[in-house]
Amino acid sequence: MAAKILPVFKFATKVTIAGGALYVAYDSGLLGDSKEGSVTLGRAKAAIPPAVEEWMKYFGFELHATPKIEFSPLDAWNSGVQKSIHALSVTPSTVSDYTKQGLQYVKDLTK
Amino acid sequence: MSEKELGQKWDHCLADSAIKFGTGLGLGIVFSVVFFKRRTWPIVFGTGLGLGMAYSNCQNDLRSHYVLHSKVAKEQ
Repeated sequence: MAAKILPVFKFATKVTIAGGALYVAYDSGLLGDSKEGSVTLGRAKAAIPPAVEEWMKYFGFELHATPKIEFSPLDAWNSGVQKSIHALSVTPSTVSDYTKQGLQYVKDLTK
Repeated sequence: MSEKELGQKWDHCLADSAIKFGTGLGLGIVFSVVFFKRRTWPIVFGTGLGLGMAYSNCQNDLRSHYVLHSKVAKEQ
C-alpha cells in the first residue's frame, strides 16, 4: 500500500514546492506593476543587512566588511554618453584643424 | 509628458525588467528541477515570460499618458 501512495505523495510534494514558489512571487508583487516591483526591491534591499547580521551571529564568524565601492553605473553611463556625443559634435572642426595643420606642414617642407 | 516624467518611467521600466527577468529565471529553474527533469526549456520559457511581462508593463506605462482614462460611475 505504501508503494502505491509514494508516487502520489512525491507528486503532491512537487506541486506544493512549485506552487509555493509561484505564490511567493505573486504575493510579493514581483509579477505585478512596475511600481510594485520597485517597492519590493526597496524592501528587499532594506531587509538584507539585518538578515546577513543574524546569519553571522548564528554561525558565529565574522564576515570581513565588504569594501564600499564608490561606483555608480548610472553616472558612468551618463558621462560616457555625454563624452561620446561631445566628441562626435567636435569631430568636423577637429578634423579640419588637423588637415590645415598637415597641409601647412607639407607646404613648409616644400618651401 | 515632461522629460522628468519620461526619465522616471524609463527608470521604472529598466528596474521592472531586471526584476521580472530574475523572477522568471528563478521560477523557470524551480519548475525545471521539480517537474521537468532539469531540462533547459522551462528556464528559457520562464525567462521569456518574465521579459514579456516587463515589456507589456513598460508599454502600458509609457502609453498611459496618451490614453483616455475613464471611471465607471456608480449606479445610484
